Amino acid sequence: MRFIRKTHYAQDINLFRHRGDVFWYGLLVALLLVAPAGLDRFYLGEFAQVFIYAIAGIGLMLLVGFTGLVSLGHAAFLAVGAYTHAYLMNLGVPLPVALACATVFSAVIGGLVGIPALRMTGIYLAVATLAFAVIVEQVLTHWVSVTGGFRGMAVARAELFGMDLGRPAPFYYLCLLVLIGCMFAAMNLLRSPTGRAMVAVRDSETSAQSMGIHINRTKGLAFAVSAAFTGLAGGLFAHRIGYLAPDAFTLLTSIQLLLMVVVGGLGSLHGVVFGAIFIGLLPQGIAIFRDVVPPAVAQLPGLEPGIFGLILIGFLIYEPLGIYGRWLKIRLFFEEFPLYRKATHKRQKSFLKTERLR
Amino acid sequence: MSLFVAEDISISFGGIKAVQDVSFTVEGGEVFSIVGPNGAGKTTIFNLISRIYDVDQGTLTFDGQDITRVPTYVVPEMGIARTFQNTELFDQETVLKNLLIGCHVHRQSNFFSDLLFLPSVRRQELAFRQRVEDVIDLLDLQRYRDQVIANLPYGVRKMVEVARALCVQPKLLLLDEPSSGLNPEETEDLSFWLEDINGDLGITIVMVEHDMNLVALASDRVMALADGALVAIGTPSEVQNHPEVLRAYLGD
Repeated sequence: MRFIRKTHYAQDINLFRHRGDVFWYGLLVALLLVAPAGLDRFYLGEFAQVFIYAIAGIGLMLLVGFTGLVSLGHAAFLAVGAYTHAYLMNLGVPLPVALACATVFSAVIGGLVGIPALRMTGIYLAVATLAFAVIVEQVLTHWVSVTGGFRGMAVARAELFGMDLGRPAPFYYLCLLVLIGCMFAAMNLLRSPTGRAMVAVRDSETSAQSMGIHINRTKGLAFAVSAAFTGLAGGLFAHRIGYLAPDAFTLLTSIQLLLMVVVGGLGSLHGVVFGAIFIGLLPQGIAIFRDVVPPAVAQLPGLEPGIFGLILIGFLIYEPLGIYGRWLKIRLFFEEFPLYRKATHKRQKSFLKTERLR
Repeated sequence: MSLFVAEDISISFGGIKAVQDVSFTVEGGEVFSIVGPNGAGKTTIFNLISRIYDVDQGTLTFDGQDITRVPTYVVPEMGIARTFQNTELFDQETVLKNLLIGCHVHRQSNFFSDLLFLPSVRRQELAFRQRVEDVIDLLDLQRYRDQVIANLPYGVRKMVEVARALCVQPKLLLLDEPSSGLNPEETEDLSFWLEDINGDLGITIVMVEHDMNLVALASDRVMALADGALVAIGTPSEVQNHPEVLRAYLGD
């Protein structure tokens, strides 16, 4: 067990609490950097997919886990980002510019959605964002001149300075780079007044106002930032799937994203990564499950959303803190090895407001 | 000139006149208590001052400025901080973070500088932390610094709320029943802290309080309310012996 002796306030501000943190995160990044040497194309693609999920998850986590606003429509922001990016790429706009535009445009749309959403919380907000997602899906289907409608649109090859970023290894690095950038941005927000304002709004609006926090501005900003991260992920996602069609951005995608942050662990950025890995692996797991069970079960319509729903409910009931919460408990067990007491984690009657769906 | 002036303020909820034509002034540097039986409108007056409710009529003036219609979030910027009767803290966060949120009104950074955590943001964070530590020292909260609010006993939460309000560095501090839920020992400590806050920091205090000993000990002037109307204003002993006040509490 490590005891940290604090001698300076900066120790509470720095991103890495001590040398151990630097070592382990450094090791993780180093492993991820050399991974393409030992992995085949398929797994590189899967990893990139996990990174993309994680980027979108950071956005959703800021909204759901830190500001306490539930969104069931984040697939829409993913779509807005993906289509904007693809449209600009097809016009010949360079990749970084197109990605930046996709991010900004998603942020603007997110801010606009945020305005009517300011008056709603909990289940009402979830339904409102769901409605927004349906609207976006309709726009994608019917605005044929831009989106290609049902037929969809091909995405131009990812290229930068004559380098083909579409191949698995360079694309893997691109996604990793963007993810690391987003992580730093989110961590910076959370350790500064902007992030604290979000947390304050989550825990007590009355009190937040009395501390000089503008509730509506904070919520609107949270929506915009959340949409920006998700839109950025959408831009990368466009390259990952190569061909955009409305059926890639359905309600199921929104639920998948929400599942990711809840299962990962609401209110922690570690949770985003755990959740992304989980969501990334789940389709494989379901495919294997289909092979094992009798055909009558395997062919059931709605099997996949059903399994998603069951997992979500299971986590809400038995492990509200998600995979990250479980990981903390396991770590504590080893840190205090012979002295671990089960009662340390006796459920206390305290939940994030988001979980209660006020 | 008085620090705070309320002129003929009224508010009703449906048919209930919670506060009717109440006028009072608070002088800079004093401790002003509001007493009265349950439902007298004490907390409502606090909510009017901190602009959580809109007055139906009347005006509120603070530090020479009319605050009758300013938005809620501007009130702390002007120098009025408050606590709540049943503590409204950020339950999932540590004491430290709660107090840092109290520093929010002094924020100079914006979203983009926060996103990049520029050196100016770091300097601001260090300054906030210094301010928070000063308040922690004042109220003896050192050992709770890294604890999550949800795990703290009620008495400590009450003090954390006072601490958070102090982080705003207000000119006027509104305390809504600071001693409710505190044991006698904690209440005694509270009276010393009120003295420190008022005397050393020079902060004017308005408090709603039921503990008459504390009121008599700590306050310079007292206002008694009953059924939303003003009954008496004066020194603690004057108000305590005022026949109308006795009637409001004890009946005829």
